[in-house]
Amino acid sequence: MGLRKTSTNIALPDENVENENREVPRDFTQLKFQILSLEPSERRWAARDLGNHPEGVPILLETLETETVVPVLDAIFTSLQKHPTHECVNGLIRFLSSEDASVRNNAIEVLQSMPNALETHILSLLNHPDSDVRIFAIDILQQLVHQNAPEWLKSVLLDETHVNVVATAVDRIVEIGDSSILPTLERVAQRFAQHDYIQFAVNTAIERIKEDTYA
Amino acid sequence: MLSELDQKSAVADKLVITDSDFEKFRDFFYRKTGIKFENSKRYFVDKRLIDRITATETESFRQYFSFMRFQASGHEQQALINAMTVNETYFYREEYQFECLVENVMNEIAASKRPGDTIRIWSIPSSTGEEPYSIGLYLLEKWPQLDNFEVEIVSSDIDSNVLDKCAQGIYNERSVSGLPARVLKKYFTQIGVGKYQISIDLREAVKFTQVNLAQPTQTRAYRGFDVVFCRNLLIYFDDASRRNAADVFYDALLPNGFVFLGHSESMSRISSLYKVRKFPKAMVYQKPA
Repeated sequence: MGLRKTSTNIALPDENVENENREVPRDFTQLKFQILSLEPSERRWAARDLGNHPEGVPILLETLETETVVPVLDAIFTSLQKHPTHECVNGLIRFLSSEDASVRNNAIEVLQSMPNALETHILSLLNHPDSDVRIFAIDILQQLVHQNAPEWLKSVLLDETHVNVVATAVDRIVEIGDSSILPTLERVAQRFAQHDYIQFAVNTAIERIKEDTYA
Repeated sequence: MLSELDQKSAVADKLVITDSDFEKFRDFFYRKTGIKFENSKRYFVDKRLIDRITATETESFRQYFSFMRFQASGHEQQALINAMTVNETYFYREEYQFECLVENVMNEIAASKRPGDTIRIWSIPSSTGEEPYSIGLYLLEKWPQLDNFEVEIVSSDIDSNVLDKCAQGIYNERSVSGLPARVLKKYFTQIGVGKYQISIDLREAVKFTQVNLAQPTQTRAYRGFDVVFCRNLLIYFDDASRRNAADVFYDALLPNGFVFLGHSESMSRISSLYKVRKFPKAMVYQKPA
Protein backbone atom coordinates (compact mmCIF):
# COMPACT_ATOMS: atom_id res chain seq x y z
CA MET A 1 0.00 0.00 0.00
CA GLY A 2 1.02 3.63 -0.28
CA LEU A 3 0.92 5.86 -3.34
CA ARG A 4 -0.36 4.04 -6.42
CA LYS A 5 2.18 3.91 -9.24
CA THR A 6 1.28 4.49 -12.86
CA SER A 7 3.28 3.31 -15.85
CA THR A 8 2.14 6.00 -18.29
CA ASN A 9 1.78 9.17 -16.34
CA ILE A 10 0.33 11.44 -19.05
CA ALA A 11 -3.11 10.95 -20.57
CA LEU A 12 -4.66 13.21 -23.16
CA PRO A 13 -8.42 13.35 -23.77
CA ASP A 14 -9.77 10.76 -26.19
CA GLU A 15 -10.04 12.56 -29.53
CA ASN A 16 -13.05 10.45 -30.37
CA VAL A 17 -15.05 11.45 -27.29
CA GLU A 18 -18.16 12.29 -29.34
CA ASN A 19 -18.50 8.61 -30.11
CA GLU A 20 -18.04 7.42 -26.54
CA ASN A 21 -20.12 4.51 -25.31
CA ARG A 22 -22.81 5.47 -22.82
CA GLU A 23 -25.30 3.31 -20.96
CA VAL A 24 -28.18 5.36 -22.31
CA PRO A 25 -27.97 7.36 -25.55
CA ARG A 26 -27.65 11.06 -24.80
CA ASP A 27 -29.77 12.32 -27.66
CA PHE A 28 -32.55 14.79 -27.03
CA THR A 29 -35.36 12.23 -27.22
CA GLN A 30 -33.77 9.98 -24.60
CA LEU A 31 -32.92 12.90 -22.33
CA LYS A 32 -36.59 13.97 -22.30
CA PHE A 33 -37.43 10.61 -20.75
CA GLN A 34 -34.39 10.49 -18.50
CA ILE A 35 -35.30 13.71 -16.75
CA LEU A 36 -38.51 12.00 -15.60
CA SER A 37 -36.58 9.09 -14.04
CA LEU A 38 -37.35 8.09 -10.46
CA GLU A 39 -33.60 8.03 -9.78
CA PRO A 40 -32.30 11.54 -8.83
CA SER A 41 -28.81 10.90 -10.21
CA GLU A 42 -30.30 10.02 -13.62
CA ARG A 43 -32.42 13.17 -13.54
CA ARG A 44 -29.34 15.22 -12.64
CA TRP A 45 -27.37 13.82 -15.56
CA ALA A 46 -30.29 14.34 -17.94
CA ALA A 47 -30.58 17.94 -16.72
CA ARG A 48 -26.87 18.50 -17.27
CA ASP A 49 -26.88 16.98 -20.76
CA LEU A 50 -30.05 18.84 -21.78
CA GLY A 51 -27.98 21.99 -21.33
CA ASN A 52 -26.33 21.10 -24.64
CA HIS A 53 -29.69 21.29 -26.44
CA PRO A 54 -31.29 24.73 -26.90
CA GLU A 55 -34.63 23.00 -27.47
CA GLY A 56 -34.31 21.55 -23.96
CA VAL A 57 -34.99 24.93 -22.29
CA PRO A 58 -38.81 24.47 -22.03
CA ILE A 59 -38.34 20.98 -20.59
CA LEU A 60 -35.88 22.23 -18.00
CA LEU A 61 -38.22 25.07 -17.04
CA GLU A 62 -41.15 22.68 -16.75
CA THR A 63 -39.11 20.30 -14.59
CA LEU A 64 -38.32 23.17 -12.21
CA GLU A 65 -42.02 23.29 -11.30
CA THR A 66 -41.94 19.85 -9.69
CA GLU A 67 -38.30 18.97 -8.94
CA THR A 68 -37.35 19.08 -5.25
CA VAL A 69 -33.92 17.37 -5.09
CA VAL A 70 -31.23 20.06 -4.67
CA PRO A 71 -28.49 18.51 -6.89
CA VAL A 72 -31.05 18.07 -9.69
CA LEU A 73 -32.32 21.62 -9.27
CA ASP A 74 -28.74 22.88 -9.34
CA ALA A 75 -28.02 21.03 -12.60
CA ILE A 76 -31.18 22.47 -14.17
CA PHE A 77 -30.14 26.02 -13.34
CA THR A 78 -26.59 25.43 -14.57
CA SER A 79 -27.97 24.18 -17.88
CA LEU A 80 -30.44 27.05 -18.21
CA GLN A 81 -27.57 29.48 -17.67
CA LYS A 82 -26.10 28.29 -20.96
CA HIS A 83 -29.11 29.69 -22.86
CA PRO A 84 -29.48 33.42 -22.25
CA THR A 85 -32.61 33.81 -24.39
CA HIS A 86 -35.92 35.63 -23.95
CA GLU A 87 -37.64 32.26 -23.62
CA CYS A 88 -35.34 31.31 -20.76
CA VAL A 89 -35.67 34.70 -19.05
CA ASN A 90 -39.47 34.59 -19.35
CA GLY A 91 -39.53 31.12 -17.88
CA LEU A 92 -37.20 31.98 -15.00
CA ILE A 93 -39.04 35.15 -13.99
CA ARG A 94 -42.00 33.17 -12.70
CA PHE A 95 -39.70 31.41 -10.21
CA LEU A 96 -38.97 34.74 -8.52
CA SER A 97 -42.32 34.13 -6.80
CA SER A 98 -41.33 30.62 -5.67
CA GLU A 99 -41.89 29.75 -2.01
CA ASP A 100 -38.60 27.81 -2.12
CA ALA A 101 -35.76 30.20 -1.24
CA SER A 102 -33.19 28.01 -2.99
CA VAL A 103 -35.16 28.04 -6.26
CA ARG A 104 -35.71 31.78 -5.96
CA ASN A 105 -32.05 32.54 -5.27
CA ASN A 106 -30.90 30.34 -8.11
CA ALA A 107 -33.35 32.07 -10.46
CA ILE A 108 -31.97 35.45 -9.37
CA GLU A 109 -28.38 34.32 -9.94
CA VAL A 110 -29.09 32.92 -13.39
CA LEU A 111 -31.07 35.99 -14.44
CA GLN A 112 -28.17 38.18 -13.30
CA SER A 113 -25.99 36.40 -15.83
CA MET A 114 -28.30 37.26 -18.76
CA PRO A 115 -28.16 41.07 -19.01
CA ASN A 116 -29.04 41.36 -22.69
CA ALA A 117 -31.96 38.94 -22.65
CA LEU A 118 -33.25 40.46 -19.42
CA GLU A 119 -33.13 44.07 -20.67
CA THR A 120 -36.66 44.18 -22.10
CA HIS A 121 -38.13 42.52 -19.00
CA ILE A 122 -36.58 44.58 -16.23
CA LEU A 123 -39.10 47.44 -16.20
CA SER A 124 -42.06 45.10 -15.96
CA LEU A 125 -40.29 43.27 -13.11
CA LEU A 126 -39.69 46.56 -11.29
CA ASN A 127 -43.43 47.28 -11.67
CA HIS A 128 -44.57 43.78 -10.73
CA PRO A 129 -47.74 43.74 -8.54
CA ASP A 130 -45.93 41.63 -5.91
CA SER A 131 -43.59 43.82 -3.83
CA ASP A 132 -41.41 40.82 -3.03
CA VAL A 133 -40.76 40.25 -6.74
CA ARG A 134 -39.88 43.96 -7.07
CA ILE A 135 -37.32 43.48 -4.28
CA PHE A 136 -35.85 40.45 -6.07
CA ALA A 137 -35.70 42.50 -9.27
CA ILE A 138 -33.58 45.01 -7.37
CA ASP A 139 -31.33 42.16 -6.20
CA ILE A 140 -30.89 41.17 -9.83
CA LEU A 141 -29.98 44.76 -10.77
CA GLN A 142 -27.30 44.91 -8.11
CA GLN A 143 -25.16 42.34 -9.93
CA LEU A 144 -26.41 42.87 -13.47
CA VAL A 145 -23.64 43.84 -15.87
CA HIS A 146 -25.69 46.38 -17.81
CA GLN A 147 -25.01 50.06 -18.35
CA ASN A 148 -28.64 50.97 -17.56
CA ALA A 149 -28.65 49.30 -14.13
CA PRO A 150 -28.03 52.56 -12.19
CA GLU A 151 -30.80 54.31 -14.16
CA TRP A 152 -33.26 51.50 -13.50
CA LEU A 153 -32.47 51.64 -9.81
CA LYS A 154 -32.87 55.40 -9.88
CA SER A 155 -36.38 55.00 -11.31
CA VAL A 156 -37.26 52.82 -8.31
CA LEU A 157 -36.00 55.49 -5.94
CA LEU A 158 -38.12 58.11 -7.71
CA ASP A 159 -41.36 56.20 -8.26
CA GLU A 160 -41.66 53.25 -5.86
CA THR A 161 -44.17 53.68 -3.03
CA HIS A 162 -43.62 50.53 -0.99
CA VAL A 163 -41.28 51.33 1.87
CA ASN A 164 -39.53 47.92 1.91
CA VAL A 165 -38.81 48.08 -1.80
CA VAL A 166 -37.42 51.60 -1.51
CA ALA A 167 -35.30 50.58 1.47
CA THR A 168 -33.80 47.77 -0.59
CA ALA A 169 -33.12 50.13 -3.50
CA VAL A 170 -31.40 52.63 -1.19
CA ASP A 171 -29.24 49.85 0.22
CA ARG A 172 -28.24 48.54 -3.23
CA ILE A 173 -27.59 51.93 -4.87
CA VAL A 174 -24.56 52.40 -2.63
CA GLU A 175 -22.68 49.78 -4.62
CA ILE A 176 -23.50 50.97 -8.12
CA GLY A 177 -24.37 54.67 -7.73
CA ASP A 178 -22.14 57.72 -7.91
CA SER A 179 -22.47 61.34 -6.80
CA SER A 180 -25.10 62.01 -9.47
CA ILE A 181 -27.57 59.92 -7.46
CA LEU A 182 -27.30 62.14 -4.33
CA PRO A 183 -30.19 64.52 -5.26
CA THR A 184 -32.41 61.50 -5.90
CA LEU A 185 -31.59 60.08 -2.49
CA GLU A 186 -32.46 63.42 -0.89
CA ARG A 187 -35.85 63.25 -2.63
CA VAL A 188 -36.38 59.77 -1.20
CA ALA A 189 -35.72 61.17 2.27
CA GLN A 190 -38.36 63.86 1.66
CA ARG A 191 -40.92 61.39 0.27
CA PHE A 192 -40.53 59.10 3.27
CA ALA A 193 -39.99 61.76 5.91
CA GLN A 194 -42.09 59.86 8.45
CA HIS A 195 -40.05 56.66 8.16
CA ASP A 196 -37.08 56.69 10.53
CA TYR A 197 -35.47 53.67 8.88
CA ILE A 198 -35.49 55.30 5.43
CA GLN A 199 -33.95 58.47 6.91
CA PHE A 200 -31.20 56.38 8.44
CA ALA A 201 -30.65 54.32 5.27
CA VAL A 202 -30.54 57.42 3.03
CA ASN A 203 -28.09 59.22 5.33
CA THR A 204 -25.85 56.16 5.41
CA ALA A 205 -26.01 55.77 1.63
CA ILE A 206 -25.18 59.46 1.05
CA GLU A 207 -22.23 59.27 3.42
CA ARG A 208 -20.83 56.16 1.77
CA ILE A 209 -21.23 57.45 -1.78
CA LYS A 210 -19.53 60.74 -0.77
CA GLU A 211 -16.71 58.79 0.87
CA ASP A 212 -16.22 56.72 -2.31
CA THR A 213 -16.49 59.76 -4.58
CA TYR A 214 -14.14 62.08 -2.74
CA ALA A 215 -11.74 59.51 -1.29
CA MET B 1 19.60 42.75 -44.03
CA LEU B 2 17.29 42.07 -41.11
CA SER B 3 17.64 38.77 -39.29
CA GLU B 4 14.59 36.51 -39.12
CA LEU B 5 14.14 37.50 -35.48
CA ASP B 6 14.31 41.19 -36.32
CA GLN B 7 11.82 40.71 -39.15
CA LYS B 8 9.36 38.99 -36.80
CA SER B 9 9.84 41.74 -34.25
CA ALA B 10 9.16 44.38 -36.91
CA VAL B 11 5.95 42.60 -37.94
CA ALA B 12 4.83 42.29 -34.32
CA ASP B 13 5.39 46.01 -33.76
CA LYS B 14 2.94 46.80 -36.55
CA LEU B 15 0.19 44.49 -35.32
CA VAL B 16 -2.72 46.08 -33.50
CA ILE B 17 -5.49 44.36 -31.57
CA THR B 18 -8.52 46.64 -31.80
CA ASP B 19 -11.28 46.90 -29.21
CA SER B 20 -13.59 44.81 -31.37
CA ASP B 21 -10.83 42.21 -31.93
CA PHE B 22 -10.43 41.98 -28.18
CA GLU B 23 -14.19 41.57 -27.66
CA LYS B 24 -14.40 38.93 -30.36
CA PHE B 25 -11.48 37.00 -28.91
CA ARG B 26 -12.75 37.35 -25.36
CA ASP B 27 -16.18 35.94 -26.29
CA PHE B 28 -14.63 33.06 -28.19
CA PHE B 29 -12.17 32.21 -25.43
CA TYR B 30 -14.90 32.33 -22.81
CA ARG B 31 -17.15 29.96 -24.75
CA LYS B 32 -14.23 27.64 -25.33
CA THR B 33 -12.68 27.58 -21.85
CA GLY B 34 -14.97 29.36 -19.41
CA ILE B 35 -12.15 31.82 -18.66
CA LYS B 36 -13.16 35.44 -19.03
CA PHE B 37 -10.63 38.21 -19.37
CA GLU B 38 -11.60 41.53 -17.82
CA ASN B 39 -10.56 44.78 -19.47
CA SER B 40 -7.76 45.04 -16.92
CA LYS B 41 -6.14 42.01 -18.60
CA ARG B 42 -6.10 43.74 -21.99
CA TYR B 43 -2.31 44.18 -22.16
CA PHE B 44 -1.72 40.54 -21.18
CA VAL B 45 -4.17 39.28 -23.83
CA ASP B 46 -2.96 41.61 -26.60
CA LYS B 47 0.66 40.63 -26.06
CA ARG B 48 -0.06 36.90 -26.25
CA LEU B 49 -2.32 37.28 -29.26
CA ILE B 50 0.38 39.18 -31.10
CA ASP B 51 2.87 36.45 -30.14
CA ARG B 52 0.59 33.81 -31.67
CA ILE B 53 -0.07 35.88 -34.80
CA THR B 54 3.66 36.22 -35.28
CA ALA B 55 4.37 32.56 -34.54
CA THR B 56 1.79 31.38 -37.09
CA GLU B 57 3.01 33.93 -39.65
CA THR B 58 -0.50 35.23 -40.18
CA GLU B 59 -0.78 38.92 -40.99
CA SER B 60 -3.57 40.23 -38.82
CA PHE B 61 -5.85 39.30 -35.97
CA ARG B 62 -8.63 38.63 -38.42
CA GLN B 63 -6.54 36.22 -40.49
CA TYR B 64 -5.15 34.54 -37.37
CA PHE B 65 -8.56 34.16 -35.77
CA SER B 66 -9.98 32.51 -38.84
CA PHE B 67 -6.95 30.20 -39.12
CA MET B 68 -7.11 29.23 -35.46
CA ARG B 69 -10.88 28.72 -35.39
CA PHE B 70 -11.03 26.46 -38.41
CA GLN B 71 -7.69 24.62 -38.32
CA ALA B 72 -8.62 20.94 -38.62
CA SER B 73 -5.97 19.66 -36.19
CA GLY B 74 -6.91 22.16 -33.48
CA HIS B 75 -3.22 22.56 -32.61
CA GLU B 76 -3.26 26.34 -32.78
CA GLN B 77 -6.32 26.51 -30.55
CA GLN B 78 -4.43 24.51 -27.95
CA ALA B 79 -1.33 26.66 -28.38
CA LEU B 80 -3.48 29.73 -27.79
CA ILE B 81 -5.04 28.23 -24.65
CA ASN B 82 -1.58 27.36 -23.38
CA ALA B 83 -0.39 30.91 -23.98
CA MET B 84 -3.36 32.47 -22.20
CA THR B 85 -3.29 30.36 -19.04
CA VAL B 86 -0.80 31.28 -16.36
CA ASN B 87 1.35 28.60 -14.76
CA GLU B 88 3.13 29.76 -11.66
CA THR B 89 3.15 28.03 -8.31
CA TYR B 90 5.55 26.45 -5.80
CA PHE B 91 5.80 23.45 -3.47
CA TYR B 92 3.80 23.57 -0.24
CA ARG B 93 1.91 26.70 -1.33
CA GLU B 94 -0.83 27.37 1.25
CA GLU B 95 0.65 24.58 3.38
CA TYR B 96 -2.05 24.75 6.06
CA GLN B 97 -4.38 22.99 3.62
CA PHE B 98 -2.00 20.04 3.26
CA GLU B 99 -1.80 19.92 7.05
CA CYS B 100 -5.60 19.81 7.18
CA LEU B 101 -5.55 17.03 4.58
CA VAL B 102 -3.29 14.72 6.61
CA GLU B 103 -4.49 15.70 10.09
CA ASN B 104 -8.25 15.60 9.46
CA VAL B 105 -9.61 14.89 6.00
CA MET B 106 -7.63 11.73 5.19
CA ASN B 107 -8.40 10.26 8.60
CA GLU B 108 -12.11 10.87 8.12
CA ILE B 109 -12.03 9.26 4.67
CA ALA B 110 -9.99 6.32 5.99
CA ALA B 111 -12.55 5.72 8.73
CA SER B 112 -15.19 5.08 6.07
CA LYS B 113 -13.01 2.59 4.15
CA ARG B 114 -11.50 -0.83 4.74
CA PRO B 115 -7.75 -1.38 4.88
CA GLY B 116 -6.48 -1.93 1.35
CA ASP B 117 -9.14 0.28 -0.25
CA THR B 118 -8.22 3.01 -2.70
CA ILE B 119 -8.47 6.69 -1.83
CA ARG B 120 -8.54 8.93 -4.89
CA ILE B 121 -7.38 12.54 -5.04
CA TRP B 122 -7.85 14.89 -8.02
CA SER B 123 -5.65 17.98 -8.21
CA ILE B 124 -6.66 20.58 -10.78
CA PRO B 125 -5.06 22.60 -12.28
CA SER B 126 -1.80 20.70 -12.16
CA SER B 127 0.05 23.74 -13.44
CA THR B 128 3.67 22.54 -13.52
CA GLY B 129 3.09 19.79 -10.95
CA GLU B 130 3.99 21.44 -7.65
CA GLU B 131 0.55 20.89 -6.10
CA PRO B 132 -0.01 17.19 -6.87
CA TYR B 133 3.61 16.39 -5.91
CA SER B 134 3.16 18.39 -2.68
CA ILE B 135 0.13 16.22 -1.88
CA GLY B 136 2.21 13.10 -2.50
CA LEU B 137 5.09 14.40 -0.38
CA TYR B 138 2.79 15.35 2.47
CA LEU B 139 1.11 11.95 2.48
CA LEU B 140 4.45 10.16 2.45
CA GLU B 141 5.88 12.31 5.20
CA LYS B 142 2.94 13.05 7.44
CA TRP B 143 0.07 10.58 7.07
CA PRO B 144 0.76 7.55 9.26
CA GLN B 145 -2.08 5.51 7.73
CA LEU B 146 -0.66 5.63 4.20
CA ASP B 147 0.57 2.06 4.38
CA ASN B 148 -2.98 0.79 5.02
CA PHE B 149 -4.47 2.26 1.83
CA GLU B 150 -3.67 2.75 -1.82
CA VAL B 151 -3.78 6.45 -2.64
CA GLU B 152 -4.21 7.42 -6.29
CA ILE B 153 -3.35 10.99 -7.29
CA VAL B 154 -4.66 12.30 -10.60
CA SER B 155 -3.76 15.80 -11.71
CA SER B 156 -5.19 17.67 -14.69
CA ASP B 157 -4.61 20.85 -16.62
CA ILE B 158 -6.09 22.48 -19.69
CA ASP B 159 -2.57 23.33 -20.91
CA SER B 160 -0.99 20.36 -22.67
CA ASN B 161 2.51 21.91 -22.51
CA VAL B 162 2.67 21.82 -18.72
CA LEU B 163 1.89 18.10 -18.62
CA ASP B 164 5.29 17.29 -20.08
CA LYS B 165 6.93 19.54 -17.49
CA CYS B 166 4.91 17.81 -14.77
CA ALA B 167 6.06 14.40 -15.94
CA GLN B 168 9.71 15.49 -16.03
CA GLY B 169 9.40 16.89 -12.51
CA ILE B 170 12.27 19.38 -12.85
CA TYR B 171 12.04 22.53 -10.74
CA ASN B 172 14.03 25.67 -10.10
CA GLU B 173 15.24 27.08 -6.81
CA ARG B 174 12.19 29.28 -6.35
CA SER B 175 9.73 26.38 -6.76
CA VAL B 176 11.37 24.27 -4.06
CA SER B 177 12.28 27.12 -1.70
CA GLY B 178 9.32 26.33 0.60
CA LEU B 179 10.38 22.73 1.16
CA PRO B 180 12.21 21.69 4.35
CA ALA B 181 15.86 20.89 3.52
CA ARG B 182 15.35 17.31 4.68
CA VAL B 183 12.44 16.77 2.26
CA LEU B 184 14.36 18.36 -0.60
CA LYS B 185 17.33 16.10 0.07
CA LYS B 186 15.22 12.96 0.45
CA TYR B 187 12.97 13.28 -2.61
CA PHE B 188 14.92 15.42 -5.10
CA THR B 189 18.13 15.11 -7.06
CA GLN B 190 20.06 18.24 -7.97
CA ILE B 191 20.68 17.99 -11.70
CA GLY B 192 22.33 21.34 -12.34
CA VAL B 193 22.74 24.83 -10.93
CA GLY B 194 19.41 25.61 -9.22
CA LYS B 195 17.69 22.64 -10.89
CA TYR B 196 16.08 19.82 -8.93
CA GLN B 197 14.29 16.71 -10.20
CA ILE B 198 11.72 14.98 -8.05
CA SER B 199 12.27 11.24 -7.47
CA ILE B 200 11.01 8.64 -9.91
CA ASP B 201 8.81 7.20 -7.15
CA LEU B 202 6.90 10.46 -6.90
CA ARG B 203 6.78 10.93 -10.67
CA GLU B 204 5.19 7.53 -11.04
CA ALA B 205 2.73 8.26 -8.26
CA VAL B 206 0.88 11.04 -10.09
CA LYS B 207 -1.11 10.52 -13.26
CA PHE B 208 -1.28 13.72 -15.30
CA THR B 209 -4.21 14.30 -17.66
CA GLN B 210 -5.36 17.08 -19.93
CA VAL B 211 -8.89 18.27 -19.27
CA ASN B 212 -11.03 21.31 -20.02
CA LEU B 213 -13.59 21.83 -17.26
CA ALA B 214 -15.91 23.52 -19.74
CA GLN B 215 -16.12 20.40 -21.93
CA PRO B 216 -18.60 17.84 -20.55
CA THR B 217 -17.26 15.13 -22.87
CA GLN B 218 -13.86 15.49 -21.18
CA THR B 219 -14.98 15.83 -17.55
CA ARG B 220 -17.48 12.99 -17.59
CA ALA B 221 -14.77 10.37 -17.10
CA TYR B 222 -13.69 11.88 -13.76
CA ARG B 223 -15.60 9.88 -11.13
CA GLY B 224 -15.15 8.31 -7.75
CA PHE B 225 -12.80 10.82 -6.10
CA ASP B 226 -12.56 11.30 -2.35
CA VAL B 227 -10.79 14.67 -2.50
CA VAL B 228 -10.57 17.46 -5.07
CA PHE B 229 -7.94 20.19 -4.82
CA CYS B 230 -8.89 23.16 -7.00
CA ARG B 231 -7.01 26.15 -5.67
CA ASN B 232 -6.69 29.57 -7.25
CA LEU B 233 -8.36 28.56 -10.51
CA LEU B 234 -11.96 29.62 -9.99
CA ILE B 235 -10.84 33.22 -9.39
CA TYR B 236 -10.14 33.39 -13.15
CA PHE B 237 -13.64 32.14 -14.00
CA ASP B 238 -16.85 34.13 -14.30
CA ASP B 239 -19.97 33.17 -12.30
CA ALA B 240 -21.38 30.76 -14.89
CA SER B 241 -18.07 28.91 -15.30
CA ARG B 242 -17.53 28.74 -11.54
CA ARG B 243 -20.96 27.24 -11.19
CA ASN B 244 -20.18 24.70 -13.90
CA ALA B 245 -16.90 23.78 -12.19
CA ALA B 246 -18.72 23.24 -8.88
CA ASP B 247 -21.06 20.86 -10.72
CA VAL B 248 -18.16 18.99 -12.31
CA PHE B 249 -16.51 18.48 -8.89
CA TYR B 250 -19.82 17.39 -7.36
CA ASP B 251 -20.19 14.69 -9.98
CA ALA B 252 -16.54 13.68 -9.67
CA LEU B 253 -16.74 13.24 -5.89
CA LEU B 254 -18.02 10.28 -3.91
CA PRO B 255 -20.63 11.10 -1.25
CA ASN B 256 -18.87 12.81 1.69
CA GLY B 257 -15.98 13.75 -0.61
CA PHE B 258 -14.07 16.98 0.05
CA VAL B 259 -13.13 20.03 -2.03
CA PHE B 260 -10.21 22.31 -1.17
CA LEU B 261 -10.35 25.78 -2.74
CA GLY B 262 -7.83 28.63 -2.60
CA HIS B 263 -7.90 30.86 0.47
CA SER B 264 -9.63 33.70 -1.39
CA GLU B 265 -12.29 31.46 -2.92
CA SER B 266 -15.60 30.47 -1.36
CA MET B 267 -17.81 27.63 -2.56
CA SER B 268 -20.71 29.11 -0.59
CA ARG B 269 -20.79 32.00 -3.05
CA ILE B 270 -20.73 29.62 -6.01
CA SER B 271 -23.02 26.70 -5.24
CA SER B 272 -25.39 25.42 -2.57
CA LEU B 273 -24.44 21.80 -3.30
CA TYR B 274 -21.77 21.56 -0.62
CA LYS B 275 -21.68 21.89 3.13
CA VAL B 276 -18.89 23.78 4.88
CA ARG B 277 -16.55 21.85 7.19
CA LYS B 278 -14.40 23.87 9.54
CA PHE B 279 -11.29 21.99 10.61
CA PRO B 280 -8.67 23.47 12.98
CA LYS B 281 -6.37 24.58 10.15
CA ALA B 282 -8.63 25.07 7.14
CA MET B 283 -12.17 25.32 5.86
CA VAL B 284 -13.10 22.58 3.39
CA TYR B 285 -16.27 21.92 1.39
CA GLN B 286 -17.98 18.54 1.51
CA LYS B 287 -20.45 16.79 -0.79
CA PRO B 288 -23.35 15.61 1.36
CA ALA B 289 -23.83 11.84 1.74
